[in-house]
Amino acid sequence: MTIESQQLTGADEVEDPILEIKNASVTYDGGDTHVLNDVTFSIERDEIVGVVGESGSGKSMLASAMLDAIPAPGRLSGEILYHPDEDTTIDVLNLSDEELRSYRWADVSMVFQGAMSSFNPTMKVGSHFKDTLRAHDEDVSEGMDFARQLLSDLYLDPERVLDSYPHELSGGMQQRALIALSMLLEPEVLVMDEPTAALDLLMQRSILMLLEDLKEKYEVTMVFITHDLPLVASLADRMAVLYAFELVEAGPRDQIIGQSGHPYTRALLNSTPNIDAPLEDMKPIPGKSPAPVNVPDGCSYADRCPLASEECTAFDPEFQLIEDEHSVACHHWEQARAEIALNFAGADEIGVSKGGDSR
Amino acid sequence: MGNYYIRRTARVFATVFIVTSLTFGLIRLLPGGPFTQLRVRLLRQGVPASEVDARIANLQNIQPDAPLWRQYIDYMLSAMQGDFGESISLGKPVAQVVAEAVPWTVFIVLVSTVLIFLFGILLGAIQAYWEGSRFDKAISALSISLMSIPFYVIAVLALFILAYQFQWFPTAGTHGTDVEPGLTLEFLVSALEHAALPIFSYTIGGIGGQALAMRGNSIQVLGNDYVEVARLRGLADRRIATWYVARNAILPLYTGFLLLLGFRLGGTVILEQIFSYPGLGYYLWSALESNDYPLMMGTFLVITVALVIGVYIADLTYSKIDPRISQGESDAY
Amino acid sequence: MPTEAEKQENVNWRSASSESPEVTLRDRLSEYFEERIRKPALVAWSDGRTRIGLLIMSVYIAMAFVAVFDLYRAPSTNQAPRLETAFQSLDYPLGTTMSGVDLLSLIIHSTPDVLLMIIAGGLWATVIAVIIGTLAGYKGGMVDRVLMSFSDVMMAIPGLPLVIILAVTFNPKNPIVLGILINVNYWAGLGRSLRSQVLTIREDNYVEASRTMGMSTPRILLKDVIPNLMPYVTVNFVFAARYVVFASIGLFFLGVLPFSTQNWGVTLNYAYSGGALFTWQAAHWLIFPMIAIMGISLSLILLGQGMDRVFNPRVRTRLAGESESTAEEGDSRTTEVL
Repeated sequence: MTIESQQLTGADEVEDPILEIKNASVTYDGGDTHVLNDVTFSIERDEIVGVVGESGSGKSMLASAMLDAIPAPGRLSGEILYHPDEDTTIDVLNLSDEELRSYRWADVSMVFQGAMSSFNPTMKVGSHFKDTLRAHDEDVSEGMDFARQLLSDLYLDPERVLDSYPHELSGGMQQRALIALSMLLEPEVLVMDEPTAALDLLMQRSILMLLEDLKEKYEVTMVFITHDLPLVASLADRMAVLYAFELVEAGPRDQIIGQSGHPYTRALLNSTPNIDAPLEDMKPIPGKSPAPVNVPDGCSYADRCPLASEECTAFDPEFQLIEDEHSVACHHWEQARAEIALNFAGADEIGVSKGGDSR
Repeated sequence: MGNYYIRRTARVFATVFIVTSLTFGLIRLLPGGPFTQLRVRLLRQGVPASEVDARIANLQNIQPDAPLWRQYIDYMLSAMQGDFGESISLGKPVAQVVAEAVPWTVFIVLVSTVLIFLFGILLGAIQAYWEGSRFDKAISALSISLMSIPFYVIAVLALFILAYQFQWFPTAGTHGTDVEPGLTLEFLVSALEHAALPIFSYTIGGIGGQALAMRGNSIQVLGNDYVEVARLRGLADRRIATWYVARNAILPLYTGFLLLLGFRLGGTVILEQIFSYPGLGYYLWSALESNDYPLMMGTFLVITVALVIGVYIADLTYSKIDPRISQGESDAY
Repeated sequence: MPTEAEKQENVNWRSASSESPEVTLRDRLSEYFEERIRKPALVAWSDGRTRIGLLIMSVYIAMAFVAVFDLYRAPSTNQAPRLETAFQSLDYPLGTTMSGVDLLSLIIHSTPDVLLMIIAGGLWATVIAVIIGTLAGYKGGMVDRVLMSFSDVMMAIPGLPLVIILAVTFNPKNPIVLGILINVNYWAGLGRSLRSQVLTIREDNYVEASRTMGMSTPRILLKDVIPNLMPYVTVNFVFAARYVVFASIGLFFLGVLPFSTQNWGVTLNYAYSGGALFTWQAAHWLIFPMIAIMGISLSLILLGQGMDRVFNPRVRTRLAGESESTAEEGDSRTTEVL
């Protein structure tokens, strides 16, 4: 890949973005409380992008922002641009109510955390599919055929699932049914907010595999939002890390895992249980992430960061491109790479490769 | 789950059986015993002393001098056949008195309870929709005030002001004495006129509680993810309001409806007394006053059976209506 | 309820720690006071409904004191001119009855018995319900089945008619007995819902832990289970008390209950049968007892609502079974939004 994007401020550049998020901020209480702070990020067509953040880092807000669906008193500012194809641009935040209604679910769809709570408990699963089709003026019988196809792609028995009430299905079945529901209108982008959080490990893995298959079959762009870094690392092409309502690092998966430049990303990597690393090397991150009120000047990670200097508390670090496609918001990213060692094998060399699969 | 239905049905019979036995026991505890009053009355009527016992046996299906277990079996057997003996004060079979009284009481209780739920659900839903608004606060305050007024206070006030002072409504009876019961317009109007105040006073106080319950349920449902997801799925507001919010908010109220129906049947003792409205409660009270034990037990048993059946229906149908509940684990209470 | 719970804390300390008892005891008591009494009390006080409810209740308590210590004349016939309307004279501010009784003194001297009655009825209903509900829910099996069948039968008997028949049979005169009689089967429904709460509590981790540690059933019930039911029980105590007010006064008004105790219902009954319905002249005779009734039930409802808010910030889910997944996700959701 040749170095095409030389400007250092544009940060994250992709060739054919399907969704561009520019300077997105979400505020509550008339601007006093920031739950998403000036996030700029693009999603490339047909990729799987993993967004990682602890709970309370603003990752659900980022997900809702992509559908312009911030919960009630919250205010979303900035720009969300959607490109159905390379030459068309839709400004999502300026859509009329009716346009927004058809944009959601049909263009950009979403899977929430906790499938159980996403279904109306007193309605059969099938009715949810029909309701959605009717709301978007789709042909119901054709749509239901597609629904059955989706459900069997997800290894579910379509007739049984459609004729069940949500509580009659197991957690994993509900989650897959919800994924099918979100794919019903063949969206271009599927945003998933902790889609596997409530499931056991085995089920998480199998859902990830199914998602990869779905992506190949239906050519959908996926945004996978989670707190579980290793989980998404096995799936994503590119990754982004959120800390305290801000994007701190974004780049190709191997770069993020093997050569991350932000002290927080590196700490996060070191804090996750790892077979290669001895237990004593596993380090939890000391301190707490800041509350959404009164975001301090300077880097919000400064008070937990071992490398923090005066510069860090005085100036907000720019989100800068450090090598192709890899951006970091840190004054000391080079120092971080040098001084904070990663505790797993193969790190800081060429990046870890996903078992046999080289993209 | 057929097993559950059998067990549940058996429990209905068991309950009725126990309550019937209980009434038998209570009669024995009554001051002076069950037959003293009757014996005195019959003697006063000039029945020869030698025939009194036979007459009593005839009237109450019980041999006064038989052993207790024998009396108990006789009592239970005749009660099972719907034969509660003859009313002492009215000189009519208890079954006949009850049969005449039941429709009026059921009419009052059913209409007022339905009204309570209609108004309560409507008010509560509107409140939840505009949660925190001035309307919401005003209605909440009103609901709480209404809950603190016993229905008989409203009844007495309504009777005092609307019936006695302004004479807009009759003060007693189920229909005008000059009107022949039948399917005539005249009769219907008269019956409605007589029922208006009892229904009104039995409705007003209950609305507050239901409105608060509906408001709470709706607000809870509105906070659920599936409502937000439905919005994202592009569903029309009306579809969401009815099938996603109202349905889930009203369902838990359903068992409450049937239970309240049965419960309020008992309250008619006070209500019908105030309006001199000859229904079940009215006869229960007047039976007590005139020591008419057969009538007292008959009306008491009928009210009990109505409540038992109400709970039974609630139990059996709730799982059909709310899919989240499977049979056997429903807590109708 | 606080004293009972304080005793438990005491017991726990004695058996559990032997090293520095004084400090532990004081710490535990003060922590207990902080967590279970002071904080809830502050939250309760911050709610307007609780404040108004307490205010109204204190008026009734004051009236009870006045009556008990005879600070205001007792009602007796011909102590005043007959049927004087309200606000005419300072001597008889609320007017007088047909038989020349001061209405204000009637209302004041009814208060102690009414309060006794509602406390007795409320305690009866809640204590029996807690015993039956926790035993059935925790023991399960045969005990559970027997107790619940018993509750079901009790629940199926219509309250008011049953009370009427019992009242005629036993002719109770003591206000405490009356209160119990009126709630004779009120506990049944409450016991059943407590049982289903116990069923969920007993599966909680800390109860599991206590069981594994070999703690005896009575101690687990006292230490882990009942404290968790207390909020719900307290709220229901208030509602049971309100039911006593409604039912007792209604029955006094009907004339079912013996007139040996003073009660606003009795006053209402006399007014009703004394012809107050037919003339505006006697309206005060009906209206002031009514106000007394509504005041105390309003205060009880407000207290109930206020406490409900303190104890369950979220409306308690009626269906206990579906809460398994909501706990985890509810957590992360709230922090996320904040």
